[in-house]
Amino acid sequence: MSDPQTSTDPEAAANRRMPYADLIAGTAFLVLGLVIIYLSWTMPRLEMRGIHPATVPGLVPGLLGIALALCGAMLGGKALVETRKLENGWQDFGSMFAGTEARRFAVAALISLAYALVLLGRVPFWLATGLYVFAFIVAFEVWATNEPKPLPKSMLWAAVQAVIVSAVVTVAFERGFLVRLP
Amino acid sequence: MFDGFFLLGAGIAHFMSFESLFNLAWASLLGIIIGALPGLTATMGVALLVTLTYGMAPDQAILTLIALYVGSIYGGSRPAILLAIPGTPASAATTLDGYPLAKAGRAGMAMGIATTSSGLGTLVGIFFLALIAPWLAEFALRFGSYEFFWLALFGVLISGRLTALDNPIKGYIAGILGLLFAMVGMESLHAHQRFTFGMQQLGSGIDIIPAMVGAFGFAELLGVMKRRFVPEIIESKDRVIPRIGEVAKYWRTTIRSGIIGTIAGIIPGVGEDIGSWASYAAARRKSKEADQFGKGSVEGLVAAETGNSAVIPGAMIPTLTLALPGSAAAAVLIAAMYIHGIRPGPMIMTENPQFLYQVVGMLLLSVIAITIYGLSLTKLLVKVLVVPREKLMPIVYVLCVVGSFAITQRMFDVYVMVFFGLVGFVLREMRYPMAPLVLGIILGELLDVNLRRGLVVSDGDLTPFFVRPISAVLWAIILITILMSMPAVSNRVGAMVSKLFPGKEARTPNG
Repeated sequence: MSDPQTSTDPEAAANRRMPYADLIAGTAFLVLGLVIIYLSWTMPRLEMRGIHPATVPGLVPGLLGIALALCGAMLGGKALVETRKLENGWQDFGSMFAGTEARRFAVAALISLAYALVLLGRVPFWLATGLYVFAFIVAFEVWATNEPKPLPKSMLWAAVQAVIVSAVVTVAFERGFLVRLP
Repeated sequence: MFDGFFLLGAGIAHFMSFESLFNLAWASLLGIIIGALPGLTATMGVALLVTLTYGMAPDQAILTLIALYVGSIYGGSRPAILLAIPGTPASAATTLDGYPLAKAGRAGMAMGIATTSSGLGTLVGIFFLALIAPWLAEFALRFGSYEFFWLALFGVLISGRLTALDNPIKGYIAGILGLLFAMVGMESLHAHQRFTFGMQQLGSGIDIIPAMVGAFGFAELLGVMKRRFVPEIIESKDRVIPRIGEVAKYWRTTIRSGIIGTIAGIIPGVGEDIGSWASYAAARRKSKEADQFGKGSVEGLVAAETGNSAVIPGAMIPTLTLALPGSAAAAVLIAAMYIHGIRPGPMIMTENPQFLYQVVGMLLLSVIAITIYGLSLTKLLVKVLVVPREKLMPIVYVLCVVGSFAITQRMFDVYVMVFFGLVGFVLREMRYPMAPLVLGIILGELLDVNLRRGLVVSDGDLTPFFVRPISAVLWAIILITILMSMPAVSNRVGAMVSKLFPGKEARTPNG
């Protein structure tokens, strides 16, 4: 049986790295909870309007902030104990951001964010959509894969799909659903 | 008493038109395809389709959404059987016996049994929906602010507890985050703007549809594309349509799993996956062929598929009568109902009694549709399974973007979708369940307003929150839920139970 501390099995590796992710997340939730408590405490209490003191707008967010901070502290505390049992854990955790999966995630996220946050609204919708579909397919068929397809072939079929998707979505939403597209 | 029967008949007859049957046909088929594609979930499908139903009449819009919901939960069984990859999380338990059956050359039989079990599971759930929902709606008329506050808290907590069995704190955190997202924007008691940081667009709060499209659409895309997917399909050569004897043989398992699935559906935010696992575990405990479970047991397959499908009508019970979503997809349905001017909640049997029975009609018709498709479209559905992800996912994302934009035609909703997509992806990777987050967003206002309204009524006194009978039951369950999620407490209780009942071992839902 392979040692869970060194196993390359994705599930075992994810389990091994989880305490580190939990430690970071727990700390982040603790801080977020404290910030929310502060913001809720300093939220206007509307005394001028003579509202009942038990109905101040910050009451529920404040209570939720306390709950989040407590849960964050518990999650982080438990994770801290677990991380102490592991060796070279931070190094192993850091390697998660350098593998094939991280690269594939980065490609998908960057292309998708570029489409939604940069292209849309700056170029016509049909063009932005066509470019996005084309770039996405080619990127995953040619670069972010272990079995790349020939570039010209991938580009040709990606272009065909890009034109079809762009045309169908534009016509369906503008004519069918009467949506003014971005 | 007969009013119910008349309303039920009218509810079914209402959809006997060409338009309804046409909408039913395409939406249930689309649902099956979405469910069959690993990475596309029922919740994502329903959320995306909401954005396309604005122009439809309310009854037709809800019909298409429910047909898609039923179709996609069923559709997830196909890749579970043929690829050993569940199409949606609801079909994870189906994989355990469906795939070994397929490997043993009985793929057709497994698909047929999955189809009939899904249909029968939904029917069991529909029976309880028609039976319980009118009674529950009437009972819920006794609820005041105190009870609704506890109910909202109960919904988020129980969902957090049961969707994160390994680490309940993560479930609770997801629920709290959802509730906090619901605090953004103008609160309805004093019209004060909270956490808007000067952004005008946040004044009306976070719209649930773009948030759901992001958390279930964009986040899924990132998760799916991160991993490589090479489908290896098992061919089906045997008979798909099961013999009556094969189906009837497991009638006890069907009824038991149907009831368990319905209960899982009634529990707020506990979805089809939990219903399926719980049914599977119960079937294994009761089965004479327990040793065959996980190796290709037909009974195991029946239990898993009946259990997940019965959750859908079960989830509609609190959804319609309390406006408390029984599952993540039901949360989207609540948002869709509000968009179409239908107000779910205790008043539904007073304001719109025919709607509840129309939902029963929609579910019945959807069962017929998935049964016909499931037993006939074997080859088409196999082709769907091998669609390359790099060709499919950009289309999904374009629909996520356009769907989010289409609601109020502003780019801000696209940014909300992107934000929730990224947050949802990170949370999923760290194994936080999404259902409590969604439930929190939906129930945040209910919790906030009813706590403060209750305090106004009692002049700041907390006693009524604890001593009113229904409130007392609810807070007691909440307290037990929290205490039992602490290992120190649950271990002691477990030890006490095994002392009191020697020989009976506690089992996990998937154990």
